[in-house]
Amino acid sequence: MSQEYAIEFKHVSKIYTLKTKNKEQSNKRFYALKDINFQIPKGEVVGILGTNGSGKSTMSVILAGISEVDEGEMIVNGEQALIAINTGLNQQLTGLENIELKGALLGLTKKRVKEITEGVIEFAEIGDFLYQPVKKYSSGMKSRLGFSINLCLDPDILIVDEALSVGDKGFAQKCINKMKELKEQGKTIVFISHSLPQVRDFCDTALWIEGGMLKEYGEVNKVCDNYAQYVDYYNALDNAGKKKERDGKFEKRVIKGKVKKSFFDRIFR
Amino acid sequence: MLKSIKYVLHENFTNLFRIYSISKYELLGDMRDSKLGLFWNFAHPFIQVLTYWFAFGLVFNKKDVTMYNTTVPYIFWMLGGMVVWFLISPCITNGCNAVFSKINVITKMKFPVSILPATVVLKELFNHLCLMIILLVIFLFGGYHPTLHWLELFYYLICAIIFSVSLSMTTSVLNMLARDTRKLVLALMRLLLYLTPILWSMDQLSHAPKFIIFIMKANPIYYIVQGYRDCFFYHKGLIFYSNSMIAFWAITLVLFVFGSCMMYKFKHKFIDLI
Repeated sequence: MSQEYAIEFKHVSKIYTLKTKNKEQSNKRFYALKDINFQIPKGEVVGILGTNGSGKSTMSVILAGISEVDEGEMIVNGEQALIAINTGLNQQLTGLENIELKGALLGLTKKRVKEITEGVIEFAEIGDFLYQPVKKYSSGMKSRLGFSINLCLDPDILIVDEALSVGDKGFAQKCINKMKELKEQGKTIVFISHSLPQVRDFCDTALWIEGGMLKEYGEVNKVCDNYAQYVDYYNALDNAGKKKERDGKFEKRVIKGKVKKSFFDRIFR
Repeated sequence: MLKSIKYVLHENFTNLFRIYSISKYELLGDMRDSKLGLFWNFAHPFIQVLTYWFAFGLVFNKKDVTMYNTTVPYIFWMLGGMVVWFLISPCITNGCNAVFSKINVITKMKFPVSILPATVVLKELFNHLCLMIILLVIFLFGGYHPTLHWLELFYYLICAIIFSVSLSMTTSVLNMLARDTRKLVLALMRLLLYLTPILWSMDQLSHAPKFIIFIMKANPIYYIVQGYRDCFFYHKGLIFYSNSMIAFWAITLVLFVFGSCMMYKFKHKFIDLI
């Protein structure tokens, strides 16, 4: 049964340590994600929604396998990759060299890098800028280059973390079209974005995290409506109300009474 | 323990192209930074050599060094050891920062962290090659011609590489846990240059207590430095230094095992240690 799911979260929690203002008190622990359960079937496109600080980025690094969960279990069937736009680009090198460098960083073989180069140049629309150092690129051009290289990876599960917030509308649409193509090929895509129209347009289902907890997971339009409603409700509150709402969320995430771990415990644990 | 060693070795050997590309483009990036580019890779060590020659050859007017019945002018004797110090020293200081300097990459993509020490060492290896070319020219002018014994240099070079990678493996993880590691290492490097018989010969220490000499000879860097000099001047062969050899490989092995275990343990935790 589990083979039909691309990603499965079982009571997943991620805990960060918070430093407190006065030194006598021991450090607090804080749930970045708390007891999250869901299953994403293979080939589904999931949008992840949530306000700032709700744990979306933490979710993305956990999904990508970069960070480990503290409690619970995450089962991933297939190779996952996080789309990281500007990472691994060296400012001094030219566009072409950066394609090779980033390709290698992502773990492609030499042959594969050669194969994708043409496609990347085509997709990124950098043209004559190919032989210019990347430091001279505009920020949109940089992101286009980075994004194009990332898309040439061939993972089973793609995680896109607010990657399309940069670049103009035309390029964003191009990326979405490209990702739709990947979707046709049966890839699972996790799409993290603040742009509701993009999510509605592109995703099948949506997942709404609020305050580190899973609020809703279901059909995209329904979740989007609820999320939009919540944002409107929150914005309509006066400042005191907003603060109360925030504090209430924060309280639920803090774990009290914790033992401080020393440096040596961390090494030899 | 075995699992972590296997993991680190496997990760390093399956990612050879990645290691090569990272070091190549880092070197290229550094070169592009300046107008003269590659020139500095030669000029920098050359000027350093010139400094030491001025200070110790001219100002202090050091005497020729006699060891194993071979007398070598001080400047050549010093260069023979200094050349490998110029490889190991940046390897250790930069190796310490290997993981930390790539923080933006390892937090953003799935990345085999344990290859990072090797990339640093490979990068320094290129600079070492440049320095070796300069050294060869100087030695030819000084009347030291390459012999078959120079082939042993490759063995000592590999020793230096393995030692640097093993040490960097340990220090780079410790540096992630506490950034103090790098500061400590930087401070200790200056000490290490004078603790290792690079600028002075072991004979000058003969009045010291036995155990100090013993500790000095167990210094892994001393083994490599002495090995380089052996290739250039003494031609005693590998077996002659068997005691130092055992000490060297024992220390290197311990460092490597410890480093691998740390790497394995923290491979997914680096993102939380920033």
